[in-house]
Amino acid sequence: MRVSLATHGGLAAPIIRRLPPRVLDTDQLPGDAARELRRLVAAAAADPGAAGPAPHARDAMTYTITVDDSSDSTTLTSSDTGMSPAFGALLTWIERHLG
Amino acid sequence: MTINRISCVTPPFILTRLLDSENGEIRQAALATLVTTANLRGERTVRGLIAGALAAPADGRRSVYDCKGSTFLPFATLVRSEDDGPVADPSANRAFDGFGSIRQFFRDVFQRNSIDDRGMRLQGYVHRGHRYNNAFWDGQEMVFGDGDGLVFSDFTGSLDVIAHELGHGVTEHTAGLEYHRQSGALNESLSDVVGSMVKQWALQQTADQADWLIGAEVFTPTIDADALRSMRAPGTAFDNKLFGKDPQPDHMDRFVELPDTDEGDWGGVHINSGIPNKAFYLVATGIGGNSWEAPGRIWYESLKASTSTTQFQDFADTTYQKAGQLYGTGSNQQQAVKEAWAEVGIPVTTTPSLAG
Ligand SMILES: [Zn+2]
Repeated sequence: MRVSLATHGGLAAPIIRRLPPRVLDTDQLPGDAARELRRLVAAAAADPGAAGPAPHARDAMTYTITVDDSSDSTTLTSSDTGMSPAFGALLTWIERHLG
Repeated sequence: MTINRISCVTPPFILTRLLDSENGEIRQAALATLVTTANLRGERTVRGLIAGALAAPADGRRSVYDCKGSTFLPFATLVRSEDDGPVADPSANRAFDGFGSIRQFFRDVFQRNSIDDRGMRLQGYVHRGHRYNNAFWDGQEMVFGDGDGLVFSDFTGSLDVIAHELGHGVTEHTAGLEYHRQSGALNESLSDVVGSMVKQWALQQTADQADWLIGAEVFTPTIDADALRSMRAPGTAFDNKLFGKDPQPDHMDRFVELPDTDEGDWGGVHINSGIPNKAFYLVATGIGGNSWEAPGRIWYESLKASTSTTQFQDFADTTYQKAGQLYGTGSNQQQAVKEAWAEVGIPVTTTPSLAG
């Protein structure tokens, strides 16, 4: 399984858009970490939260998390002000494992 | 009036949020519950909360919360409120002290009582997310990340960044500029103008002495960048291998067309803000002295006279009119405004339009 994280917008939007995309390959993770990631992806897919930022939000970032499995591909999108706790948990997990 | 109690099963973090409710009865009920509930987080925190809740909902009382890496703000813990002294966490103290400076700036310079001019509470959240490269205004609160430690460091490190976010609140409660294309770039620029003025006021620097940089402190020492943006010279804040050259234009001829999507930064709101940013810098140095005096007054009165759809040309014309009303037709101040906008490719139109 391959997980990529694309980040857009924010106070430093012109810089953020030029930073290289970040990709995580579960083949390089221990088995229990890969299982935890699958669980977090399933939870976030069930309840990602609002896709876009709240109407009055300013400098909020949006996130696109793409999960490519051998069979299919899932794309989850949410923002700083709209994300569910489940999406936030997945985002945090990915950020931690990207090192 | 009877004071209702809110069920004791309500988690304390919900109760503390309710203390900040605009509704007086909800505040009273939350307070009554907190006072009588054993499930409290420690006496000192509670004393601060109670002192905050009892005060009039005025004067922009401050609360700073620690997200401890969570992205979900209701999980955050109150770490410092208005009557508390400094705490162990430098980020919390920087946000708290920054809010205090900005609150005093608006009160002393523009006679404005907090974000909404009605004493709105100033609420900050620090340590939001993991390696989070941002700070934002969510419509109610200011939120700060720690940075990834590679490119960015703690976003509470720049007073102008804190003031930029609070400035978004002021714009929301005045013109309410839409966050797309020109009105969005103007919204961004006005936050940078607030950020710069607050920094210069705190340092007591004249327009000539100031560096006019936004976010000079947000990068780690390994990153070759002066700041996020330069108001004096948009397009020159950084130029390095990692993220290239600062894309901000300093003239309408170089306005950047981008899609009105999240990937396009809503039409490049953080890019095209360079044009009105440069205009403000030119006005401030053209008039001379302190940016927060005549230049700041002209911009602030123009912000209040603007609407959600104000475009660059509209704003330029408004600043010219306000400069005339405040300092006299043909005054040095009005002349400086006229020259500044001409230099960035937006000459003011002085005859009323047919639509006007
Ligand atoms: Zn902004």
